[in-house]
Amino acid sequence: MTANAKGAGPLARLYTAFGISGPVALLLLAAALGVPWLPGEFWTHVGTEVLILGLFAMSFNLLYGYMGQISFGHAAFFGVGAYATAMLFTVLKPADGQIGVVDFLLSLLVGPPVAALAALVVGFFCVRLTGIYFAILTLAFGELLFYIVFSWYSFTKGDDGIQGLLPPPFFQDSTNFYFFTLAIVVTAAALMWRITESPFGYALRTLRDNQRRAAFLGTNVRVHMLANFVIAGSFAGVAGALWGPFSRSVNPGLLGWGESGIAVFMTLIGGGGSFIGPMVGSVIYTLLQAVVKMYTVYWPLTIGTIILLIVLFAPGGVLGLIDQRIRGARSAERVGREEDEAAAAAAERQP
Amino acid sequence: MNSGILEVSGLEKHFGGVYVTCNVNFSMQEGEQSAIIGPNGAGKSTFMNLLTGYHRPDAGKVVFAGRDITGMPPHRVVRCGISRAFQVSSIFGRMTVGDNVRAAVQAQMRVTFRLFASARRLGAEETERVLALCGLLAKRDLMAGELAQGDKKRLELAIALAGRPRLLFLDEPTAGMSIEEARSTMELVDRLNRELKLTVLFTEHDMGIVFNHARRLTLLHRGAIVVQGTPEEVRANATAQKVYLGEHHL
Repeated sequence: MTANAKGAGPLARLYTAFGISGPVALLLLAAALGVPWLPGEFWTHVGTEVLILGLFAMSFNLLYGYMGQISFGHAAFFGVGAYATAMLFTVLKPADGQIGVVDFLLSLLVGPPVAALAALVVGFFCVRLTGIYFAILTLAFGELLFYIVFSWYSFTKGDDGIQGLLPPPFFQDSTNFYFFTLAIVVTAAALMWRITESPFGYALRTLRDNQRRAAFLGTNVRVHMLANFVIAGSFAGVAGALWGPFSRSVNPGLLGWGESGIAVFMTLIGGGGSFIGPMVGSVIYTLLQAVVKMYTVYWPLTIGTIILLIVLFAPGGVLGLIDQRIRGARSAERVGREEDEAAAAAAERQP
Repeated sequence: MNSGILEVSGLEKHFGGVYVTCNVNFSMQEGEQSAIIGPNGAGKSTFMNLLTGYHRPDAGKVVFAGRDITGMPPHRVVRCGISRAFQVSSIFGRMTVGDNVRAAVQAQMRVTFRLFASARRLGAEETERVLALCGLLAKRDLMAGELAQGDKKRLELAIALAGRPRLLFLDEPTAGMSIEEARSTMELVDRLNRELKLTVLFTEHDMGIVFNHARRLTLLHRGAIVVQGTPEEVRANATAQKVYLGEHHL
């Protein structure tokens, strides 16, 4: 362990500066840049899905890991973002032809603000509660929005969903779309990192650890919770906006609690205690799903078993487990060094 | 009598049919250091909760520095310059000691809506000052939840001191501390009061601490004030002897 830490100099320094998220983010980025060179379009496609769902899960973790509240309705904002983009996309697309690049980018841009607006309305009610009540209310609102999209046929095309979201020719190439997605996800993640390391981010942590005390610091608890709810909803909207052009269609299921569950699962697997944990969770979840589905139809059974094992044996997720090991090794190293120094000092005193 | 920094008049609070605060009139002058004493359940913590907005009074008025703060929510009371430390240490367990204090400083600076500023830079000096003041500099990188009980209480005090309050409420500041820790904590409180003119009101069960560190005492019993005055006056009061001090064999 000691040898490893010393061998990986830059990674160890990143760990010291940014915690476990530093080195892991660097490794993930390096791996992400190599994905399109894997044989076949399949892995590029899976990689795009990893990025989009990972961004969605990271936005969920702003609520869970940083504010200490669990939402079972976060997909509502992912779905609203996806629909906003899909609907504008459909309007801007000529009846018989391709959507232009500018119109395509414009339709992507509309997803996040519409998702933010939905989060503002839903959050206004949800931030009055905490814990299980917060979770249940987000679930209720999520299902409500799902049902509206599902039933309002004239506006949303109901359970038919919206098809034919074929991006402009340049973005139809899976490698191009992959790098486009990577750029957006990295930018969004950088913004989220900035926010979590701002005074606002630390105010959220005080809410997570002790709401009553946070109020006695002069923090307006509800207003901070609402602001974070809207921020998390906006980033879910960014992910949602990318989803339509990626899968060429949207459907009401994107708003449903099954989709919300994906963010929860990914965060639990990767670890909600670190910034990059949910993205690691997305890598594991999405890759596993792609591979498992090649061989068996028992995907829900597989993921259920994995979640069970994680919750029982690694409640901090994969990154939580690794982080614990590194901290243990580092403090053992420190104790060892102090003992060596003490022994050396004692030896010097010997005549 | 000139009006004090804190003026409380006719304060009442009941939970169901039980009056926990009855017609309390109370005032403090700026720079004063006083204690509230009384048996368990006398309403000491409720009184502090009423003054800091955690509970809403049913009747009465609380005026701080000429400003009516009756019924204000805690975060607004705090912004007026009142701070408090809790009886059971109430800290941010999953944050480091340094981050605990810095978050408190930044909340007081009212910069918590600066989404893109670096938390590490804002209020660094004030954080350093408060950590040093409370003797927590060496422990700044430890997780607050993993501190020993005495250190948790000191962090509790540090969080309350962040942002330079004018009036500080301390609910049993030395509970759970060793004799040595209790002594150094109260010396710190005395110093804050003397050097920074911080007005301090504390509750305490240890009568040794109360008589050594408070210049004025208020004895609460069943939600009402029994007697108020200097330690000597309270000690000499027959009712005070009967309801509380008798237990302590002074």
